[in-house]
Amino acid sequence: MKQPATGFSLDDVSVRFGAHAALRGIDLEVAPGEAVALVGPSGAGKSTLLRVLVGMVRPGAGRARVGGEDLATLTRSALRRARASIGFVHQDLCLVPNVRVARNVLSGRLGSQGLVRSTLGMVFPPRAALDEALAILTRVGIPEKLFERTDTLSGGQQQRVAVARALYQGPAALLADEPVSSVDPARARDTVGLLTRISREEGLTLLMSLHNLELAREFFPRLVGMRAGRIVFDRPSEAITEADFHALYDLDPAEVLADGA
Amino acid sequence: MAPDLRRPFPLGPRGFVLAGLGVAGIWAALYLGLQPSDLTPSTGGLSLARDFFARAFSPALSSEAAYVPDGTPGLLALSLRAAVTTVVYAAAAMSVALVLGIVLGFCASTAWWSGDPLGGRTWFGRTVAPVIYGATRVLIGFMRSVHEVLWAVLFLAAVGLTPLAAVVAIAIPYAGTLAKIFSEMVDEAPREASHALRAAGASGMQQFAFGLVPRALPDMIAYAFYRFECALRSSAVLGFFGYETLGREIEQSFVSTNYGEVWTHLYVLLALVLVFDAWSGRLRARLAR
Repeated sequence: MKQPATGFSLDDVSVRFGAHAALRGIDLEVAPGEAVALVGPSGAGKSTLLRVLVGMVRPGAGRARVGGEDLATLTRSALRRARASIGFVHQDLCLVPNVRVARNVLSGRLGSQGLVRSTLGMVFPPRAALDEALAILTRVGIPEKLFERTDTLSGGQQQRVAVARALYQGPAALLADEPVSSVDPARARDTVGLLTRISREEGLTLLMSLHNLELAREFFPRLVGMRAGRIVFDRPSEAITEADFHALYDLDPAEVLADGA
Repeated sequence: MAPDLRRPFPLGPRGFVLAGLGVAGIWAALYLGLQPSDLTPSTGGLSLARDFFARAFSPALSSEAAYVPDGTPGLLALSLRAAVTTVVYAAAAMSVALVLGIVLGFCASTAWWSGDPLGGRTWFGRTVAPVIYGATRVLIGFMRSVHEVLWAVLFLAAVGLTPLAAVVAIAIPYAGTLAKIFSEMVDEAPREASHALRAAGASGMQQFAFGLVPRALPDMIAYAFYRFECALRSSAVLGFFGYETLGREIEQSFVSTNYGEVWTHLYVLLALVLVFDAWSGRLRARLAR
């Protein structure tokens, strides 16, 4: 399942939801194996940008490329393969709460399996698959939860299940959309550290959106600041200045009320 | 624009609908000429009711018939045998209704047919799928709109008093009801998990099976148990057509004015439903864990 890391590229990408412009002419290159944090206020378009990269949102204009391939030109099965090669950790986790952790983890690999094989694998998981799921849960620090019901876990533990599901895909890249918005600061630091460490060890491309600029500077070598659907800055984290921070977060009142997040 | 504080919660169209329903109810009562004096029974009716309810606390333990042929099983044995037959008919009908209800329910849910935003809808999804969806909804509406007793009348006329006629008569409207409720349960289940599976490359079928159905399943199981309980009653009622369920025993005892026997059979039916309810409640609690 191990694949070489994938790069991303957005070329003048715009997305509108009705009257709301979520992304306006975004240009962004992420090299294979790079770790990049997307920072900015709510409604800046960070989530939309990540969703464009897995083909969950179709750009109204511009091109989104994953590993050099334009998502808009892919056939359905090629799109499925492209999605299967990217692990996505969602903001609200998106786990099935009333099944065991193992099933949530195993569901990560549905994208690279046919219906019959995946059904058999979900109903009667083979020993090898469970071994692998256990190894991944060990990496994220909750091996003892393999057969617990998912909704009996704490918020922080469920977040680790979501990470484990993404890793079980055997991805070439990891996308994470505000993975720490619902946990306390100590756990947030832990999780960001976990995701950056694992992607470094595995050589995965990592693109994570974060509210927290401090965490982003601590763990990521490159920061991309977004506001109102545009990229405001894109530079190494040690070059981030006070002015950049103000450019992101000094909202004028009209913008606060117009927030379409 | 400042909110109008004099009318904080205006009734609006909903108020008119409610008022309209109230007017319709009153009109219906007037149309039927309902009046309290209708509840005064005739003298003969009153004495029959008195005789009948007098036996509620003294159900028969053995046959009350004047002549019992040799070799006839005792009343309790007869009642229990009818109870078992009632369960067997209900179980047979429910197993057919469940399979049909799941298949039709999934076909009648919007979640089953919802397409992929970027992959685009396939030719099948654009042309054939809406036809199947619409046809399924019409079909389950038709199945539900005819009561099982009417289906039974129809099948008895067509094929006679065969067990299959009773099973199919119950299974058709039950499959329709199960399909309708199942489709709503699947459509109302939270979709985030299935969207996450889509983002990970899962096919539409996989998203449905592993992201959506698990969330709807506890409700679907609880509802199926409830419908099984209803099927027990339907199966008992079909005894009035001559099937050997509790309904036939009740009817025969009633026309023979053996009211004690009627109460015995009614209590057996009550016990059947209560036992089933207790058992299914325990089973559901275990499944929910």
